[in-house]
Amino acid sequence: MNFDPVPFPLLQSFLLWLLVVGSATCIVLVVSLIATIATVGARGPVVFANELGAMVGDLVSLSPRRIFALAQLTFREAVRRKALMVFVVFAILFMFAGWFLSSSNLAPEFQVKVYVSFVLRAISWLILPVVLLLACWGIPEDIRLRSMHTVVTKPARRLELVIGRMLGYSFVGLTVLAVMGVVGWGWINRQLPESAKSQLICRQPIRGELTFLDREGNPTKEGINVGDIWMFHSFIEGATKARAIWTFEGVGPHVLDNEGNLLLENRFQAFRSHKGDMRRSIYFQYTFVNPETNARVPYQLKTVDEGRGRTDRINRTLLNIGESSKTDGKKYDIIDDMVSKDGRLTVEVACVDPGQYLGMARPDLFVRTADLPFYYGYFKAVACIGLMVLLVIFMGVSVSTFVKGPVATFLTFCVVIVSYGARDFMGRIVGDPIALQKAAQYSGLQEMKKLEGGGVLESIYRILWHMNPTTELPAGPSTTIMQFIDTGLVNFLWLVYRILPNFDYFSESLLYVANGFDVRFDSCVLACIMVTLAYFGPCVLLGYFALRVRELEAK
Amino acid sequence: MSTTGQPREAVIEIRNLTKIYRDFWGRKKVRAVNALSLDVYKGEVFGLLGPNGSGKTTTLKMLLGLLFPTEGEIKILGQSASDVRKNERIGYLPEESYLYRFLTGEETLDFYGRLFNMTNAERKQRTEELLKLVKVDHARKRQLKEYSKGMTRRIGLAQALINHPDLVLLDEPTSGLDPLGSRDMKDLILDLKAQGKTIVMCSHLLADVQDVCDRIAILYGGELKVLGRVDELLKSQNQTQVLSDQLSPAAQAEVEAVLKKHGAKYQVDHPTANLEELFLRTVQESKDRPGRRLIADDPAVKA
Ligand SMILES: Nc1ncnc2c1ncn2[C@@H]1O[C@H](COP(=O)(O)OP(=O)(O)OP(=O)(O)O)[C@@H](O)[C@H]1O
Ligand SMILES: [Mg+2]
Repeated sequence: MNFDPVPFPLLQSFLLWLLVVGSATCIVLVVSLIATIATVGARGPVVFANELGAMVGDLVSLSPRRIFALAQLTFREAVRRKALMVFVVFAILFMFAGWFLSSSNLAPEFQVKVYVSFVLRAISWLILPVVLLLACWGIPEDIRLRSMHTVVTKPARRLELVIGRMLGYSFVGLTVLAVMGVVGWGWINRQLPESAKSQLICRQPIRGELTFLDREGNPTKEGINVGDIWMFHSFIEGATKARAIWTFEGVGPHVLDNEGNLLLENRFQAFRSHKGDMRRSIYFQYTFVNPETNARVPYQLKTVDEGRGRTDRINRTLLNIGESSKTDGKKYDIIDDMVSKDGRLTVEVACVDPGQYLGMARPDLFVRTADLPFYYGYFKAVACIGLMVLLVIFMGVSVSTFVKGPVATFLTFCVVIVSYGARDFMGRIVGDPIALQKAAQYSGLQEMKKLEGGGVLESIYRILWHMNPTTELPAGPSTTIMQFIDTGLVNFLWLVYRILPNFDYFSESLLYVANGFDVRFDSCVLACIMVTLAYFGPCVLLGYFALRVRELEAK
Repeated sequence: MSTTGQPREAVIEIRNLTKIYRDFWGRKKVRAVNALSLDVYKGEVFGLLGPNGSGKTTTLKMLLGLLFPTEGEIKILGQSASDVRKNERIGYLPEESYLYRFLTGEETLDFYGRLFNMTNAERKQRTEELLKLVKVDHARKRQLKEYSKGMTRRIGLAQALINHPDLVLLDEPTSGLDPLGSRDMKDLILDLKAQGKTIVMCSHLLADVQDVCDRIAILYGGELKVLGRVDELLKSQNQTQVLSDQLSPAAQAEVEAVLKKHGAKYQVDHPTANLEELFLRTVQESKDRPGRRLIADDPAVKA
């Protein structure tokens, strides 16, 4: 997989959220109204309106003191019931993990990747089951032991009970996470081989947009496909007019390093059509272009570090070494002369060796601005795990208000697993553009289309009659009915897909640090915050609703 | 009530209350309370009696909004049972003390105090008072799981009183308490009554009930069988007893003379037996003639 994050579509997601939450609320309201009328008869609407009014009243009369009391109770319960034993497992895991991870023959950046992803994954997979169990058993046990009776016969609102529980478990989860995060950080710093420590950094890339010129110099969307299964990369042929052209935005003096160099980091692939000199790397050349004035300055030749990243330091003052005939011998300033007024800089890449090919994709060249210390990105990733922990807690507490502990655990677990495992696939069936884009990226394709072949019934029909997906179905009422049902099912799937939380962003945060990048706010941290927030309100309301309409009697 | 004449303020009004427990599939299992109507007035101690499973606890839980009535209406402190604001003025001691066993005695009271939005200082002071009142001061720092049954009961009582409630609902308050504890409990109830609070209690200890309750209701199979003032119920009991006794008209004058002289003493000599007898007879008659209301004194209920 290539690491090419896209910014989180905030407004679009928010509107979608409004749509989903709004329609779900309407459905719940209508169903409850009907249920009320069915149980109490003609007084139904009045009773319903009163209840609704009382609920809104509860919403606006929350007491922080009560919520905090309930949260503290929850925290104490978890601590005194020995939930913190998870630290013992954690400690044991880390005591011995070093034996299996040490692999000093790997390149430093890969060692960093192994250690960092081990630590972050270990933390998330240890903490998730703990909070899942805690959150899913708290309220059902409270009801079963009837200790909740004593609480709800005090002025504590049931809404406060739900929020207090969520808050309490969040304290537990975040405390455990904080300790684990710090220990993990210390552990990485201690255990990582000395040689790899220089790679414990957070790079901050400015990524550009990529286009190509073919061998005749005509613009194309993609370069050549050399038959590599890794189609994500396009190739340009050496010693032709083929170019890969990146345009970066937001370039200015602030992106230069202390010595005034522009840092370009690349990770190009080489494809050799003839052996050539294997000891010598393939040459390529940068040409800097001002997208406004079209001033062009070719740069001296560089070599490709095959399969590895390398950083080229480009001095701010460029000497125009000339492009075949057009040498003017003048000096150019890379910021003042090559960057347009709105901060754009174009970099063209050409392969110099005839008969050799260079492969690249959008993330393979970026402007590297000043690095941040490792802990910066690491703790951001930990914070994203924290948000995931919160999300699981919210869902667990909410589900546990209407089913018993084991069922709640199972349900929440299923939601987490299905969201992790099958949500992307659902997205491809219902044709969500973001899911399609992600899927394309993961499988190394330029783009991916919505899955074809009809719905469940149609597929079964085609399988039974040995029809391929392109054959027209026979026209007739049965086909219409079949397709109608299938559309219904796909719409239902759309709803499920929209209700399941998107865990991608949480796991992405880990990839950033493991790959030596800072965790980007707009495409990752913000997304994590938004996903978690999006579930908070609905989970609270669902939990409150469930606690309110049910009798708190152990059944 | 006929004796006082002036109208009394009803703190609890129950009208035609029915509760049917259903199973998961909505099938009817038990009719725990059936068409129950009664009022509890401000400032009285009301006893809810009945054999095991007669619906006392179910009634209390419906009053508190823990269970929803299948039919009928409840007004408690002028509000509906599902209104949580009424809880500000209510203290409830559950059948068993359903408390958090991982909290210490002190933390328990502090926690419930906070649910009433009491300030730090208020809670501290109230905790101090209550721990002394219920006599578990010595164990304040120990977790409730280490408490004995009676100690848990005492803490349970303390939490029920934390908010100076106007209405106290006690579900078998003396169960699990030692004789001293029961004595204290009775004193406490009378003390609360002296402060003008209303108390509703369920109990099987008829001696206790007779000592402290102003009025009682006896439930059988979820139905109200007897409702009335304790002294009047027992007084009529006594008369029946004396009348059915084998006293000759000649002896009667003598006995009456003696009663006039020793009346009060005579009545306190055997009160326990009387309530017990009333209770047993009620249960027996309810078994024999199901569906019949035996005694009720309440005009509101008769209407
Ligand atoms: N949660 C429940 N589910 C089903 N039935 C119940 C439930 N709770 C109580 N019952 C039934 O309702 C009836 C009344 O029970 P309740 O607890 O109110 O009796 P009680 O008068 O308090 O008895 P006790 O003196 O033993 O405390 C009983 O038949 C009981 O089996
Ligand atoms: Mg009971």
